[in-house]
Amino acid sequence: MSLLKYLGQRLVYGFIVLVIMISFVFIVMRLVPGDVVALQLAGAGAVSEEQISQMRAELGLDLPVWTQFVDWMKNAVTGDLGNSLWSKLPVTEMIGERIMITLQLAFMAIVLAIIIAIPAGIYSAMKRNTWIDNTIRVIAIGGLSIPNFWFALLLIIFLSLTFNWIPPLGYQSFLTNPIVNLQQMFLPALVLALSLSASIVRMTRSSLLEVLHADFIRTIRAKGAKEKIVIIKHALRNSLISIVTLIGLQIGFLLGGTVIIESIFSLPGIGSLIFESVTKRDYPVVQATVLVYGALFMLVNLIVDMAYGWIDPRMRPS
Amino acid sequence: MVNNTILKVDKLRTVFQTRHGVIDAINGVSFSISKGETIAIVGESGSGKSVTALSIMKLLESTGQITEGKILYNDLNLAELSDEEIRRIRGKQIAMVFQDPLTCLDPLYTIGDQIVEVLKIHEDLSPADARERVLELLNLVGIPDAGSRMNSYPHELSGGQRQRVMIAIALACRPNVLIADEPTTALDVTVQAQILELLKKLQAEFGTSIILVTHDLGVVAEMADRVIVVYAGTVVEQGEVREIFAKPEHPYTDALIKSIPRAETDRNQPLQIIKGSVPNLHEMPSGCRFHPRCQYATDLCKQEEPAFIDLGNERFSRCWMNDPEKKDHFIDVLQADAVVPAEAEAANAPMEKEKQLLLKVEGLKKHFPIKKGLFSRTVANVKAVDGINFEIFKGETLGLVGESGCGKSTTGRLLLKLLDISEGEVLFDGNNLASYKGNQLKEQRKKMQIVFQDPYSSLNPRMTIEDIIGEPLEIHQIATGREKSIRAGQLLEMVGLSSGDLYKFPHQFSGGQRQRIGIARALATEPELLICDEAVSALDVSVQAQILNLLKKLQKDLGLSYLFISHDLNVVKYIADRICVMYLGKIVEVADSEDLFNHPKHPYSRALISSIPVPDPTLKRDRIILEGDVPNPANPPSGCSFHTRCSFAKEICKTDAPPLKELTIGHNVACHLF
Repeated sequence: MSLLKYLGQRLVYGFIVLVIMISFVFIVMRLVPGDVVALQLAGAGAVSEEQISQMRAELGLDLPVWTQFVDWMKNAVTGDLGNSLWSKLPVTEMIGERIMITLQLAFMAIVLAIIIAIPAGIYSAMKRNTWIDNTIRVIAIGGLSIPNFWFALLLIIFLSLTFNWIPPLGYQSFLTNPIVNLQQMFLPALVLALSLSASIVRMTRSSLLEVLHADFIRTIRAKGAKEKIVIIKHALRNSLISIVTLIGLQIGFLLGGTVIIESIFSLPGIGSLIFESVTKRDYPVVQATVLVYGALFMLVNLIVDMAYGWIDPRMRPS
Repeated sequence: MVNNTILKVDKLRTVFQTRHGVIDAINGVSFSISKGETIAIVGESGSGKSVTALSIMKLLESTGQITEGKILYNDLNLAELSDEEIRRIRGKQIAMVFQDPLTCLDPLYTIGDQIVEVLKIHEDLSPADARERVLELLNLVGIPDAGSRMNSYPHELSGGQRQRVMIAIALACRPNVLIADEPTTALDVTVQAQILELLKKLQAEFGTSIILVTHDLGVVAEMADRVIVVYAGTVVEQGEVREIFAKPEHPYTDALIKSIPRAETDRNQPLQIIKGSVPNLHEMPSGCRFHPRCQYATDLCKQEEPAFIDLGNERFSRCWMNDPEKKDHFIDVLQADAVVPAEAEAANAPMEKEKQLLLKVEGLKKHFPIKKGLFSRTVANVKAVDGINFEIFKGETLGLVGESGCGKSTTGRLLLKLLDISEGEVLFDGNNLASYKGNQLKEQRKKMQIVFQDPYSSLNPRMTIEDIIGEPLEIHQIATGREKSIRAGQLLEMVGLSSGDLYKFPHQFSGGQRQRIGIARALATEPELLICDEAVSALDVSVQAQILNLLKKLQKDLGLSYLFISHDLNVVKYIADRICVMYLGKIVEVADSEDLFNHPKHPYSRALISSIPVPDPTLKRDRIILEGDVPNPANPPSGCSFHTRCSFAKEICKTDAPPLKELTIGHNVACHLF
């Protein structure tokens, strides 16, 4: 009961945040220089004032901004996010085709990051202040400092020059051709995982070290428990709160990262969609994709908050 | 005796790597324990008592290492075992109970799981058998309703119950030796009595040998068969408990026993003290480690470390005075000692002047709201202080005692308006402080100051002593610049430090010295009332006596009034003229301190006083053991809040809260029995 109430509360908060966010994006998109009409007519040579205003009217851009906003909101509530100003396709359809790619990419990146980072963090903490620990920490600092688009470019250049290998062209979905799909997705996921895992390694190491000094760890050792049980069952689980919190926050950066990385690896996900539509000032598409990113971020953090209760009985809503 | 020995520690030395280099935490610690015996390792902080306990289990931090000596458990030298070998001993043969049951259980697992864990490590059990054993253990350690309690998490249990769970974990595999490291230090005195009783009962049942590590001589006298006294990393005296208390051989043991205030200590005499403080491990004195603090020390003591001298009958002492060949070194000091005892300052002369009222508290309440939901609605109140009345007269010390959560510290903070008063009046010299704000409050605070419990966290580590003591002088524009320095220096001298210490930082002082600085800061504004909130609770016993003497002396010299808040009843009895006993936000009894101790009326006061472990092993008293724990103040019992734990409770107690009634002059009790 109280869990449902809690969920309901969180959804209400989430909705309010999304409304504020989308209003901001709606207005800012229309304030930045550059205009969709000018862009569309750019190749047409000489255009008259009349043609411009006619086009503007066609696209519904002649109305005051707040009227446009109210109209858009009205439709959005019914699930209609408008049509692209360029392709005229419904935005929901465009996103629907592409969202799985971005979700798959983000999911793979998180899983890769966790697989790499948690064992590395545990190992680093157990071998504290040895050369192993120092090496892991230096790599982690490196991972944090290197911008992922730069690393992505280096990786592509390196692979193509040294091994004469590039990811297969022409995106294939996992369902139609899983092998090609994984070949295409692995590198971008790895690049995204890099900076994510760097911060998770550091957090795992430091919170494990802190927990290992706790009194209850001594109690468990006094029971005669093997070091494996001490570390995995007790110390790691007690560190999970801070690790999970970090992952939740890093998802924001991860989603931001998909925008550039999808473009670099030519993946037709939402990331590259948002990239294109910003340059083309395709307002409805930008608005909808931002909405999707925002909702995803909030969903992940809701899951994180639920995970707190699963990890720590003291944080369960009573 | 010899054949019965189960564990023998021989010349053990444990060192730690620190930034001061390699230091000895313990060196030359030897003792043995027989089947079914209880020995107490007693000492102050830094004496190495916990390191000794952890060394036996090889549970030292990674910087610690056993470098010399043997730990023989049934002819097996634990010091030489590999990690895997010692792991099989831990929890199975030798188990341990730690000090703080709050932090010693993993918060993420149910207590049932945590008990099962130790069983599974050492035995092959089916889940059903394991459950059966857990139930049996929980019943054994006296946890009611074990079937549902085993699914509780540690945070859902009270401190006493958690310690019972710790004991259940320790005894799960029926170990031969139980090491209990300060098992009751973090508990309230009534709960301490329950836990000590439980340990005795279980020992009688299983024949477990218990190594009790403690600083509390009362607990030692209560529990131990033999006593090992440790000081600065080495054993200074060892012997049978009655002999140790009746005729301590080592000057340290002697002074330690004399420095604790007891129920029968004369309030008008200063406590016997041990000068100075426990040395740091990295600056250990030469020769006998106790010599800088010993009143009998001679040149011999400064140069050579005495051997552990066998006095026969299992009695040992590490003092040159016990060596017949060296006795002539001490003729002079012993004669001098016979003439005058060192500190002959008269403490508070009993002052029977006319009592002048300084502070009057009426109907004081503090309710902390519990907020819930989207709009933070107040759903309930924690009634921390729930309508209390008391007075403090000029030059008087009023003691405020009670267990954790009774509201005693909150009361202290309310008087200073560090917390807002929910209801009631605080009249200081006839003016009601409840409405004071801004400048008026600031002026008022000059007259009332507070000394806090923890001398480590209550001084800003980045400020010099001059700035710390000078801060109130500046705030109240009493003195600035050079004048401030002079005044701060005077204050330091007043509390027994030197004005040369002004430019040092807090970390350069010991705990006792820091508490003196805290007192100097409180005295800077020349207050009339000093609130001492557990002011000596964090100090070693030998240092505690120094601070208590200092407080008494200052009171006499400056005519101060004290509100002395403490959970330690013997300390309160020694320092206070009158005592208020609090339970769940209410005062249940007020009386002169002698009267309260000799004729406690309220069932709670009686239980509280009888729960104090008395540092006298010959005394076997009938103790009143209270059931259960202090109830949650957010949801106190109806009527008299004590009725749930009171063996005299009648029907009326469940419905009507008893008012405070005057029984004899100055003795008030809130109980339906009177």
